[in-house]
Amino acid sequence: MGFIVSQRFDVIVVGGGPSGLTAAQRLASRGFKVLVVERGRRPGSKNVYGGRIYAHVLDRLYPEYVKEAPVERWVRKERLTMLTKDSGVTVEFEAKSVEHKSFTAYLTNFTEWLSRKAEAAGALIVTETPVDSLVIRDGRVVGVRSGADEVYGDVVIVAEGINRLVLESSGLTPKLQPSVVGLGVKEVIKLGRGEINERFNLDDDEGLAWALAGYPTHYVPGGAFIYTNKDAITLGIVVYLEHGAKLDVPVHELIEEFRLHPFISRLLKGGQLLEYSAHLTPIAGLGAMPDRLYGNGYLVVGDAAGFLLHLGVLIRGVDFAMESGNLAAEAVVKAHDEGRYDEEALSVYWRLLNESFILREFRAFRNAHKVLNNPRLYSDYVMLMNSFMARYFDVDGTPRRIWDTFMSSKGKLTLTDMARDALSLVMNL
Amino acid sequence: MSMDNRKIPIEERLNSNAWDVSQRPHIRIIDPDKCRKCDAKPCTFLCPARCYIPSQDGTVLFSHEGCLECGTCRVVCPSNAIEWTYPRSGYGVQYRFG
Repeated sequence: MGFIVSQRFDVIVVGGGPSGLTAAQRLASRGFKVLVVERGRRPGSKNVYGGRIYAHVLDRLYPEYVKEAPVERWVRKERLTMLTKDSGVTVEFEAKSVEHKSFTAYLTNFTEWLSRKAEAAGALIVTETPVDSLVIRDGRVVGVRSGADEVYGDVVIVAEGINRLVLESSGLTPKLQPSVVGLGVKEVIKLGRGEINERFNLDDDEGLAWALAGYPTHYVPGGAFIYTNKDAITLGIVVYLEHGAKLDVPVHELIEEFRLHPFISRLLKGGQLLEYSAHLTPIAGLGAMPDRLYGNGYLVVGDAAGFLLHLGVLIRGVDFAMESGNLAAEAVVKAHDEGRYDEEALSVYWRLLNESFILREFRAFRNAHKVLNNPRLYSDYVMLMNSFMARYFDVDGTPRRIWDTFMSSKGKLTLTDMARDALSLVMNL
Repeated sequence: MSMDNRKIPIEERLNSNAWDVSQRPHIRIIDPDKCRKCDAKPCTFLCPARCYIPSQDGTVLFSHEGCLECGTCRVVCPSNAIEWTYPRSGYGVQYRFG
């Protein structure tokens, strides 16, 4: 499928996901002639994520979202579980007042909503068209290529997602390394609204965000998640690909073993599988960034730029994606005012990123991945917490003092290891 | 059949998705000889759709029909033997609950 359009555009956006569509909406609403080139049948049909969107960026960029966006449930409960095959230690936070900070949603629906916003602002979205590479002339990006067809623009915003096929084939970034990504695999299971409310102890619009570690990935670095939507739950696992070789079962079996864990399966009784999906996710913070985020005639945003903050329990992608799209749009406006889209003019994007929460947070958490890549977190410490609890609550007439119970639960972990790991955790996360 | 107490076979899980599969594969094994020399074959273990199956002769058989388009195979292949691109013209998996 080629381009039906032959005109020239001010801006071409590669990829109709949250970052690309936000850039398109911002620019189109300021009078730029914008083309979004999307590979899917419709925007959203190729998008997959965990399940939750943090709303702070929407408050600013799309204040009407409260009424319009396809919100499933507002998250009111945060739960973290260290799970073993036959026990679990859980921490839960719940607040009485429902503060609208984050919500669960299907990214497919949410992206489609963003595409309507971009179109309403005047952007043209062409679907079913995967971009193969950028058109580069005299060291300058001047357009994009799909099959035998080319379309030209003053500046190209690359929002192609974590698989940087376009940047790679254009020689602008090296091949994606397993050490900077995790594989997410997800099942969407229909349960019914009443069942979800009852089993997760929620009201109609209230949601649960649940992160789990340990058994779900067979103690290999990574984790699992469960989010409640209106009528269905999303359940998934993330495996850090660098450690993928340590798995003792194939990844497509792993997610089923997690779903069938007795603590999980009893919550899902009578459920019906609606969809089985998978996607890569950046996990390495600054380390997942390509060498350059701008150059002569192009900018990189969203997952393609590595803009997903992965802090183990806290995982934020969509807010970073939308904000990077917004800042790229601002950079294009500024470069346009200068009358040129060369590397120097577009370097304002980097300055804007630096002043925004994006790079402020990425810098604050620059060592997070190093800490989270520690295999002990997903194995030894999960075991320690569980055996400590098991011993402590096993009342049989012998006194269980906290310290003694702790020392007899720690397995092969040394106190030095623990002190070092604890310190590095609290200092870097 | 209830899914409460049994693993759902991967084929059945893939069948719950909406698909529009192209006749034209978007996956290609560039050099089967590299697969023959590859002991670990991480693609057979880490592809969430089980698109890669080790074959008797030491190579890897693949099918593009169930591809979830995550890109894992390309990233984990230690010898860059897999050419994986996105399907053309919107073909492939059609996510409804991404």
